[in-house]
Amino acid sequence: MAAPTVDWDYVERAKSGELDLRWLREWNSEWGVKATPSRVGLTMRDIAIGSYGEIPETAPRRTMAPRGSEVDADVPDMGYTLNSKTDVWADNVMDLYEEGVSRQWSATRDIPWSEIPEIDPDLEHAMCQLCTLLSEVEMIASDFPAKWMWRINHDYVEAKMFLATQIMDEARHTEVFRKRALANGGGLGKAKAVTESFLKLVLDAENYAQGSALMHILGEGLVLSLFRAGELISPSPVEKKIFRLCMQDEARHVAYGTMHLRYALAEDPDRIEEFHQYLDGGEEMISALFATPEVVEPIAVLAAGSVDGAAVMGGQAADMLLGRVIEEYLQRCDRAGIDRRSRIKIPDVLGNYDAAALGVTSDAAVSGLN
Amino acid sequence: MRFPSAEWIDAVAEQAAADSDELARLGFCNLRLMLAVNATPTGDRYLGLVLDGYDVTSAGEVDPATWDADCTLEGPFGAWVDMISNIREHGRADLGHTLNALTLAEFPMRVTADDPMGRDLFFRYNETLQEVFDRAARVPVDLEPAAV
Repeated sequence: MAAPTVDWDYVERAKSGELDLRWLREWNSEWGVKATPSRVGLTMRDIAIGSYGEIPETAPRRTMAPRGSEVDADVPDMGYTLNSKTDVWADNVMDLYEEGVSRQWSATRDIPWSEIPEIDPDLEHAMCQLCTLLSEVEMIASDFPAKWMWRINHDYVEAKMFLATQIMDEARHTEVFRKRALANGGGLGKAKAVTESFLKLVLDAENYAQGSALMHILGEGLVLSLFRAGELISPSPVEKKIFRLCMQDEARHVAYGTMHLRYALAEDPDRIEEFHQYLDGGEEMISALFATPEVVEPIAVLAAGSVDGAAVMGGQAADMLLGRVIEEYLQRCDRAGIDRRSRIKIPDVLGNYDAAALGVTSDAAVSGLN
Repeated sequence: MRFPSAEWIDAVAEQAAADSDELARLGFCNLRLMLAVNATPTGDRYLGLVLDGYDVTSAGEVDPATWDADCTLEGPFGAWVDMISNIREHGRADLGHTLNALTLAEFPMRVTADDPMGRDLFFRYNETLQEVFDRAARVPVDLEPAAV
């Protein structure tokens, strides 16, 4: 495509006061479509009105032109590859974007770092190993959407905007866990190949659908449960706050992934086997993660309050956590329209528990920590 | 005032409203949470709490058959009393008595929903919810079981 050239005739006319004004006189957009702010302000859903709120099933162009604007015929092709609504859309994506913006927080300002108490060295090591894992895995949920975002057609800009909030969220998670590992003298622990293998599976996904299923539903669903567990077994209110704030962000990402998959499957039910195969591979990798000492044992030690107690009570706590991970994951799959209960690749031996019978209660889990 | 009662949840919501600037910094919410207090001396009791935008309001005692909740925070009377007592004693929930800590193992309390997306709202707004429930520290309450 030829580079734009300067219209010198127009420049001369404009200098002499002869304005063009066709942009003003030949206005074909929807005049009079006026958005009304809702209770929290003027949201993306508030302005999804008239033709501006019509999301095309297939994008007619591959430009950055705002959806609903009048577009020159000779605009360049941006090379987008995700040009169908089913590729990226979720019915809750506008609301999730607004929520993501509203509920941002700062790992520097909002965590009372000076209030971390001195704790038993084994517990500090365990917390630092958990933080090492989380700092490692969280950035994939920035890298993966960042890798695909420029390929998403601008007609689905709300999805791109939501992914931009996710990228910021995950950068902050990477930041906050790195800071926690370094804030109390413990430092970073071990990074395992099995973890990196799962991250590579997501990063190298052949298409956005595969990566989103692996990351948004399976991976982030797992991490959401890990954050819940982290909140339960935190040795002080400082870590509690970290995990609660991260939990909120992660739940938004899972909500997008669940409803995106639901939308994709509702529009094209024939793709279900494709998604089953994506999740087959991911679940097998997750099973390996849950058989990794650096993943399981820090949780067990923190839950038991000591290394000695971890073998008994902590193991039960880890089983409890995995049981919750699996059940909540299966429920989200059900909601998305894909039944994984008869096909799940995570072995039964992982995640069998009875919390009440095992005495895994919140009090028990933090005994020795209070 | 007694627990559970409309007066109690009204008072908690009023305390949250009094700190609306502080809670607003956590961001807006969109959640209808039902509190199910099981096995009280007068049977199961249900309270409603609405987080709408930046507002926290009480729905008082609600009928679970007709009140449309996104999710339900459910537990036996004793578990609720233990949580509220702990919040009042410490000024906020201690490590073992946060909403998440009490519900993760589904014992002694749990979060239920017909739709997992509704249940996940409990996680999406968890910091705000914890701050709201911590306001119960400022609500005088009689936690003795009411006579039948």
